[in-house]
Formats: sequence, C-alpha cells, structure tokens
Amino acid sequence: MIETSHLSKVYREGVYAIRDLSINIEKGEFLFITGPSGSGKSTLLKLLLREELPSDGQLKVFGRNLSDLTSRQVQEYRRSLGFIFQDFRLIPRFTVFQNVAFVMRVLGVPPAVQQRKTFQMLKWVGLQHRMNANPQELSGGEQQRIAIARALVNDPQLVLADEPTGNLDPDLSLEIMNMFREMNSRGTTVVVATHDRELIRRVGRRAITLEHGHFSEGA
Amino acid sequence: MKHALNYAFDEAITSLWRGRRSGFLSTATIGVALFVLGGFLLATSNLQRLGDQWSRSAEMSVYLNDDATAGQKLAIEGLLKAGPVIAGAEFVSKAQALERFKQTFADLASTVGTLDSNPLPASYEVRLQPQAGTSTGVDELAQQLRGVAGVADVRYDRQWLDRLTSTIGIVRIVGLALAGVLIVAAALTVATVVRLALHARRDEIEIMQLVGAPQAYVRGPFVVEGILQGGIGAIVALVLLSVTYLLMRGPYLMPLAEAVNFSSVSFLSAGWCFLLLVGGMVVGCLGGFVASGRT
Repeated sequence: MIETSHLSKVYREGVYAIRDLSINIEKGEFLFITGPSGSGKSTLLKLLLREELPSDGQLKVFGRNLSDLTSRQVQEYRRSLGFIFQDFRLIPRFTVFQNVAFVMRVLGVPPAVQQRKTFQMLKWVGLQHRMNANPQELSGGEQQRIAIARALVNDPQLVLADEPTGNLDPDLSLEIMNMFREMNSRGTTVVVATHDRELIRRVGRRAITLEHGHFSEGA
Repeated sequence: MKHALNYAFDEAITSLWRGRRSGFLSTATIGVALFVLGGFLLATSNLQRLGDQWSRSAEMSVYLNDDATAGQKLAIEGLLKAGPVIAGAEFVSKAQALERFKQTFADLASTVGTLDSNPLPASYEVRLQPQAGTSTGVDELAQQLRGVAGVADVRYDRQWLDRLTSTIGIVRIVGLALAGVLIVAAALTVATVVRLALHARRDEIEIMQLVGAPQAYVRGPFVVEGILQGGIGAIVALVLLSVTYLLMRGPYLMPLAEAVNFSSVSFLSAGWCFLLLVGGMVVGCLGGFVASGRT
C-alpha cells in the first residue's frame, strides 16, 4: 500500500530529514514510526500527506507515485486519508458535531448522510452526548476522540497520526491506541508517529525507528 | 455545485457578520468609490441630455445684403433645401426683422423709429437637423453660403455647443479617473479584509486542504464574501446618491436647469444603476479572488 524507495528529504544543503528510506507498509497494517524529536517522523507523515515532495527517491501510495499527482489528483488522494494531530486541531467556533461533520460538508456529502455518519462516529468514540458542546469544554482525551471521529468519518483507507497521544496521560494514551487498534481491525491501515516507546511496547505492533535521517526496524 | 454554492454563501454570511467591523471598512470604501462614479455619471448624463437638447434647437442665420437680387436669393434657397443637415428654413424680411426687434426690445422701439432707414438685414433662419448640431456638415454649409453672392454674413455660433461637448468629455474623464483610483483602492481594501478573514480561518482552511476539499469549497466563501461586500457597497452608494439627488433636486438642480433652458434633470437610468451594482460586485469578487489566491 505504501512503498518508499531510496526516499530522501533535504531541507537545507546537506541536512537530511530522511535519508535513503526504503520500506513497505502493507494494506491493513498498523505501523509505528518512532525516533527522537527532529528525527524525520513528521517529515515522513508530511510526505505521505503530500504536503511536501521528496528531494530524491520515490514514494508510492495505492500504487501511485505521489510526486506525479496534479493538484486535483492530490485532492482526490487526500480524500482517501484520515489524519490526526497532537494538538487535535478542532475548530473552536464549531460544536463537536459540526467539527466531525465538517469534512463531509466540504466534500459535498448530502446533509442527511452527514448527520447519520457523524452521529455513528460520535457514538463509536462515546461522545454522542457531547455533540452540542464546544471543543474548549472538552478534556484533552475527549478532544482527541473527536479528532479521531473526524479522521474516520469519511471511511479512509489510510489513517496517519502525528504524536496523537503527545498531550495525553498514559491511561488516555492507551485508550486512544485501543481505538486505533479497533479501526485497524476493520481493515484500515494505520501509521502512527510517536516518540513514546513504552506505548509502542504496550500496543505491540510493527515499528520503525528514524534517527539522523536513517531508519531501522523495531522500536 | 449547488452544495458548494450553499456552503460558500453560508460561510460568507457568517464571516461577514463575524468580521463586520473590518467588513464595514471595505463596504464603505466601495460605497464611496461607486458614489463618486455614480455622481459623475449622473452629472455627465444630464449634461449630455442638455447638449442634445441644445443641439436640437440649434439654428443658423444667413444675413443678406440689402441689394441681394431675386436670383441670388433663389441660389441661396437652393442650398437651404431640407436634407441631412437642414431641417427647414424661413425667410425673414427686413420689415419682419424690425418688427421682431421692436417686440423683443420694447424699450428701444422708439429709438429705432427715429432712424431714417431700417438698419436690420433680411435673413434666412435655418433650423438644423438634431444630429447635425456638432457635425462638420454644418461648417461646410456655412463656408459654402459665405461664398454665395448676396450673403452678407452667416452666423452659426456653435462654440458654446463645442465647449459643452468638451466639458462633458473632461468631466467624464476626470470622473472615470477618480472613480478608477477609488475602485482600485476599494478592491485592495476588500482583498485586505478578505485576507484577514482568511487568516482568522487558517485552521479550517488547512483542514479543508488536508481532507482534499475542492477549491470551490476552499476559495468559494472568500470570493462570495467579496461579492457580497461589493454588492452591499453598491447598494449603499445608490441609496446615498438617490437621497443626495432628491435633496438637491428642488432647491438647486431644477432652478439651475430652468436657467439654462433645460427641460428636466433626471436620476441615473435603471440600466446604469444595475451596472453600478454589478460593478461593485465584480470589484468585490476580484478582491476576494485575489486574496484567496494563495490558499
């Protein structure tokens, strides 16, 4: 599903964020990317989101080279992704319900479908009773659950998460990871970037470590 | 497409309400620009009608020598036949000219009576075709008549008409230039205000881009916001212009019109009002389009 071949990203002359990365991530896999701050985890996710382009090598997702996509094809590609950030990035002026429905709204999904799927997702993350609340009224764990609901509401084939538990305590982190495991068990490919090796150990899935631009298998 | 439009309008109205203070600034700028443009259009359209009216009533006088013969008069009449330049001509004898003078200048009538002979010449009063008022055909005819034997003078004082025409032209150019500068300023203000709205919603835009929302959803609300600001500005300008016109009509404009023998001043036509409204919306649209260009 994701295939990188000698993938490199250079931001400044001679400073590699990623160097010669060649990995395969199979469909339905759950993969952790770990490493210290500045090791290139976020860069890899940005490349996968097609926010950045590789400096060298190839990055193929769903069999398509991301460097070759036109801006319209980038839009289509991103519609098959879900993304989750450390800082949740919920829209403060929207209610919980509107935040989750927003993705479908801007993709032109009919209102009735928006309502049904949003409610289903809120029920799945256990926050249907808070659907009229504003994000500021929720705890960090609840906000991240809303962000997960938003990422999944469009039935993505691939979910990318950048330090999704970075702002949460260990118990809440495990709770969030259980949600990732559940979505993965339904066939969604999940890629999570985290520096929390203890969490990786507790979840027990495949991990790759990035350090100084290079990578190695295992946490 | 319908969803995108609904979304764009919903978001644009919400954004306008949330940023109503800065939105007021851009709406007012468009309003001022279109008020100035509308004011100049109002002035030039009325001046144009005045010019047309004066052109329609323009006349040429062909004065004859006292010793002009019947043959010479026939030759002159031959040139004054109705055509593309001339609508008609009337002969005024020396006696008729004197009678008219006495009627027009009653105070001087007794003085004229003391003269030995009638000093006023016989003439042809020529009515010109309306569209011939400022045409070169009239100049050519006057030149031709001056060369005919028996003609003492040809008076066709068209300088005032030319001056009026050139004044309308100057007023129009000045108005367009001033309005052009103000419209550019208005478009830049709209762009700045829309840019502020865009900055305030950068998180939403980022999320929209990450989920692959079509450009119509990303840029649409900002373009519609610009269109609404422009449209509201144009409506404000038209309301202000009509109120100003109504307040000035009775005490100033009508007496002025009577003084220059102008039938009636009138407000901008529905077509011009519509164009101003559309113009405001286009300016706003451009501002919104440019501001959202780098999303």
